[in-house]
Amino acid sequence: MTGWHLDDDMLRRYVERTDSLAEGASAEQHLLSCEPCRARVTAAVTAAAGGTGLSVIDFAAVWDRTRDAVEVPRPSVFERLLRGAGLPAQEARLVAVASAFRGVWLAGVAAVLAFAALAAAFGHARGVWLFLSVAPIVPCLVVASSYDPWMDPALEPELVTPYPMLRLVLLRTIAVLALALPAVLLFGLVVPGETAFAWLLPAVGFVAVVLAASTWVSPLRSAIAVSSAWLAAIWLLAARSGAPEAVLQARTQAGFLALAAASFAIFLVRRRRLHQLRPWR
Amino acid sequence: MDSRPDDETLLLAVAERDMGAFRTLYERHAGWLAIRLSRRCNDRDLVADAIQDTFVAVWQKPRGFRGDGDIAAWLWGIAIRRLVSRLRTRGGVAAVSGHPGVAPAAEDQVLLSVEYGDIGQALARLSPEMRAVIQAVVLDGLSAREAAQLLHVPVSSVKTRLYRAKAHLRAALAEGPS
Repeated sequence: MTGWHLDDDMLRRYVERTDSLAEGASAEQHLLSCEPCRARVTAAVTAAAGGTGLSVIDFAAVWDRTRDAVEVPRPSVFERLLRGAGLPAQEARLVAVASAFRGVWLAGVAAVLAFAALAAAFGHARGVWLFLSVAPIVPCLVVASSYDPWMDPALEPELVTPYPMLRLVLLRTIAVLALALPAVLLFGLVVPGETAFAWLLPAVGFVAVVLAASTWVSPLRSAIAVSSAWLAAIWLLAARSGAPEAVLQARTQAGFLALAAASFAIFLVRRRRLHQLRPWR
Repeated sequence: MDSRPDDETLLLAVAERDMGAFRTLYERHAGWLAIRLSRRCNDRDLVADAIQDTFVAVWQKPRGFRGDGDIAAWLWGIAIRRLVSRLRTRGGVAAVSGHPGVAPAAEDQVLLSVEYGDIGQALARLSPEMRAVIQAVVLDGLSAREAAQLLHVPVSSVKTRLYRAKAHLRAALAEGPS
């Protein structure tokens, strides 16, 4: 303490902003370390806020907003990530609220994948089959669950609000794929050979089929149907030839690409039928 | 002399999610922070937003204060940066501090020359733009980038103005009082 304090004139000039730069700077430097003078400034400012045109801000209102802001739960990491990617706060909440983005669900999916990948890495041919049967259907199952009204009661109040269904479904699909694809890819790295990536096109194709099918039936139901069909096909193939090459053939892969394109076209054409996801209407 | 808890005690209580302590901290500091911010930015809504952001940040990370120096200085560091980031997201708002730039009255000149020697007069002779830069960089300790955002000018202008202002001051001080 220097024993030096703001005198009343200086304080008034500071609050009224009629001081010079040097005087203001010295006042500010002093205020940082002198509690009594800070209290005097605060008293002068809040007194001014009560009446005259000198008021700075409405401290009571700012306090209310601050308290409200700290009392609502912080947005999840995922939601903040979406906002960071440039999505407006409201849409980020709408996308992130899907139960598919809750930790437990994601952890379950990751565990299944890890199991399949490990089996592939250590179990040779059989394990590779297992990975190939699981990996392509994971994305479409996760996508379907991200907007299926049955899976996700949180969707109900959102869908009654006039929000474009197409946008919501696509946003959630993209968000879920951005999460699921890297995970599956990562687990695929421990799988020997090209199998690690052979599932990509089938996976994209299945997601598109589920999107298209959800203009008729519930997304989860169509995802389960697609998955069952895939499992039946791959087990049939395994029983007959016992080699995973068939899925890797360029012709088959091209077929999956065509499937994806056709399904997505159907989805876009029938996008208005997405309203059938609102069964209570 | 009084039994009011000091700021560090309050901050510890805030870390324990004590809303009462948080409110006391707000009442104790929002006033002077707001007046100091409003000397940098004419837009009252922005100042209010920056104050809100500051205290939300304090609530979220009360342990950001490492116990060195004064809590007031720590708070000010948060507040001025929140203001800068609000300015950046709002964009386009004329926010140059617009220091009233009233020429110091005769008695102030005396006071200043007692307090600061010739610095006060030298500062008073700077153009408003240069004073704004000096205020942001030298007195508020902002980086050139932050100062550029605060004053809505390119970073390069901040650097050249700071350089010129320093040269100006140096020359003025070397000349002695005119």
